[in-house]
Amino acid sequence: MLLRRAAALLALVLTACARSSTGDSVLVVLDPSLDKDAYSTFWAGLTDKGYNLTFRTAKEAQPEIIQDEVAQFSHVVVFAPESKNLAQDLTPQALVSLLDKGTNLLLALSPSKQTTINTLASEFSLVLPPPGTPLISHFPARDAPATVVPVSPPAAHPVLSSGLPPVWFSGVPFAYTPNPLLIPILSAPAESFAADTSSDSGADAVFESADRAGEGLWAGSSLSLVAGFQATTGARVTFVGGVETFSDEFAQKELPQGKSSGNKQFAEDVAGWTFQETNALRIDKVEHHRVNETEPREMYTTNDNVVFTLHVSKFNPIKDTWEPYSGIKDMQLEFTMLDPHIRTSLPPIPGKAGEYSVAFRVPDRHGVFKFVVNHKRKGWTHLESTTVVPVVPPRHDEYPRFLSAAWPYYIGAMSTSAAFVLFVALWLSGDDREGRKKGLKTE
Amino acid sequence: MAPKSSAATKQHATPAPAAAPEASPAAAGNALQSLLNAYNQNTSPRLKLIDAFLVFLMISGVLQFLYCVLVTNFPFNAFLAGFGSCVGQFVLTASLRSQVNPANRNEFKDISPERAFADFALGSIVLHFFVYNFLG
Amino acid sequence: MRLSFVLLSSLLAAGEAFAGQLSIQQARFSVLGSDASQLRLEPISLAPANKAKPVHLGASDTLKLTFTVVAKEQDPDAEPKGLQTHQTFVRFHDVQSGEEGVVPVRVAQNGKAKFELNMARPPSALPPTPLQGNETAPLSVTLLLGSFEHSPYSLELFDLYLPPSQPAPEHPDEKTFHSQPEIHHTFRPEQKVPSKFVSGLAALIVAGGPWVVLLGLLSQVPLSTPHLLSPSVLPFTISLTALEALLFYYWVDLKLGQVLAYGAVLGLVTTITGRQALQKRGEWRLQGAQKK
Repeated sequence: MLLRRAAALLALVLTACARSSTGDSVLVVLDPSLDKDAYSTFWAGLTDKGYNLTFRTAKEAQPEIIQDEVAQFSHVVVFAPESKNLAQDLTPQALVSLLDKGTNLLLALSPSKQTTINTLASEFSLVLPPPGTPLISHFPARDAPATVVPVSPPAAHPVLSSGLPPVWFSGVPFAYTPNPLLIPILSAPAESFAADTSSDSGADAVFESADRAGEGLWAGSSLSLVAGFQATTGARVTFVGGVETFSDEFAQKELPQGKSSGNKQFAEDVAGWTFQETNALRIDKVEHHRVNETEPREMYTTNDNVVFTLHVSKFNPIKDTWEPYSGIKDMQLEFTMLDPHIRTSLPPIPGKAGEYSVAFRVPDRHGVFKFVVNHKRKGWTHLESTTVVPVVPPRHDEYPRFLSAAWPYYIGAMSTSAAFVLFVALWLSGDDREGRKKGLKTE
Repeated sequence: MAPKSSAATKQHATPAPAAAPEASPAAAGNALQSLLNAYNQNTSPRLKLIDAFLVFLMISGVLQFLYCVLVTNFPFNAFLAGFGSCVGQFVLTASLRSQVNPANRNEFKDISPERAFADFALGSIVLHFFVYNFLG
Repeated sequence: MRLSFVLLSSLLAAGEAFAGQLSIQQARFSVLGSDASQLRLEPISLAPANKAKPVHLGASDTLKLTFTVVAKEQDPDAEPKGLQTHQTFVRFHDVQSGEEGVVPVRVAQNGKAKFELNMARPPSALPPTPLQGNETAPLSVTLLLGSFEHSPYSLELFDLYLPPSQPAPEHPDEKTFHSQPEIHHTFRPEQKVPSKFVSGLAALIVAGGPWVVLLGLLSQVPLSTPHLLSPSVLPFTISLTALEALLFYYWVDLKLGQVLAYGAVLGLVTTITGRQALQKRGEWRLQGAQKK
């Protein structure tokens, strides 16, 4: 009995532990018209992971998101596609300042209205079509309306589970301008497009919309449906083109092929990435020392052989701990004075979890150098580390000595000294009279 | 008083006998030989000692210079030290020679040969200090 | 592969939900030169196996595509009739780079459609085709037909080679999000050190040559050294030698501070012995002069 209770408690603790690397409080802002229960699978998934969900409607002002300049929640979900305006603390500026404070955001765009979130999206390099132009795909032929589209997730994506079945999507696609901080998570199918017509008689309108100044046709796989953005603070924000992607209905809806959809897993993956459960890295420690030494030097000498070691951890959301991580194969180290003088790969050390190390020869230039690791990959926490270290020329007594090339010079100097001693001895012991006599003799 | 007078007598006594035997044979090819003879006869052993030392320094310096030019000037500081020791010692020794040369007695009236030698010894020690400091 | 799967599934699904299957008829394409001369004219086969050979377009050529959109009714005997579809797109896809452009085609009410791609005035939707080596990557051209009432239809037409264009614009920071080229520092070349034999030989010459000459010359000088061991002179000789030895040892092993300390002591000794020795020398010199 006791044992069973303990086991149950343990199981509870284990599930409760699985959560984000940045905190487990979530504020969910919902449209008043949005039925909370229609998304119960998604909420349950979050609660099971250990998140504390706090619900609030779009117009409510309580609970406050920022109190005394301190963000009160680790993550904020805004599913309010029908509300043109949100509460005072959810203006675009407020949301951006939340990102500055490290709060993660999961935001749903509105296909039908120009909402606050739609306005905010343009600040994150997203370009939305005019309101009321949802994604339409006639491919494949299916029972569902043309605006409910099964989308195949990319085969390999840093954010998504592998082997994810197609995901039902209904909402607005968006284009984006090139921005390396932006991570498209779900792209529109190649055959899909955005249009505001709902019958074949709209064909001319579709054609003409493409001719409209500058807009072109909103079509094809260059459009995105779900996109993440990792701010330079490390906070993540994800824009979802349609809130229904997270709904129970889409999670249970069968695909045209008859299989179950990937929506549940997709929603978990997207939320997991957004809330920094997955792909969260950090640098634990930076070490540097000369080869065959263990302690770091205050400064290094030109041509020294130096070992640089970086310790990296990855967050494990299942155990709720940071674990050493050796999975980065393309890390690079730069040794920089104004410009990088050396850029070399910083490979993981086999057998030493989480350690990345490289040995290199310090350039024969002296000055204030920096060890720079700036590992930025889409979908992963950016790893940035800068260690300033002066590089000095050898001290006067650190140059090589007794070189064979200089033997003649050494011998020359010694020879002069010896001859000087001999000369002094002869000079001092010489006889004056004789000299004089000789001088006289010649006279 | 005595050295002064002897120097004075020597001053015009020395060139006279040297010139006499040289002019009379008038063997033009033998000019060098006669010069050498005159040197051997008229130079005191003390000056000859200095001259031998000077020749030694010159050869030593030239050899090092040749090595520097023909083989390598690396490490350059060692070359400067080795070559400089020869040149510096040569200058100091030459100064000593001019100060103790009885022919120059008038010019260095106030400097006794002992004082000149003390200067030479001090200068040499300081020079060698810098040479070894610079040898690397 | 995926496209054919989509095609297959769309064919399968066609029976249930839609009035019929979209298709095209009288499809052909032609390539016109800048002077409107016809360079190529071929019908388009609807069988994927008979895909046309790749099409090359010059900088002023025009690609013309004509076809009629029809819907095949379920009854196989019924005459297919032309119609206007909601979606009639030509998709240009660079398989290698993933760049894509979709251009709509205007379809008349009777299903007749005409598409022109004039490279003198290319549509902005065309994907960029930068040079790769000395050729541009081919664009896969696909016709997409979609309708609310009929099953969709797509047909891969041909591979299209376009004149080179500027590459897609890239964010200036984009390259920092990938492995960057390695940078190696070019070190100054190591000093060339002559062989030890050469240096040793030169050292021997420097050591020996001058000494042979010096000793030879000294042997010519009638030297007498009566005062070599004189107690007044010997200490000075020894202390000067010691000073030299100290300086030599300084080179080998000593620090500046040490040599200055020892040197100060030795220098003091040398000064005293020197004063004594030189006084004696002065006396001997005066004696010699007087004897004269």
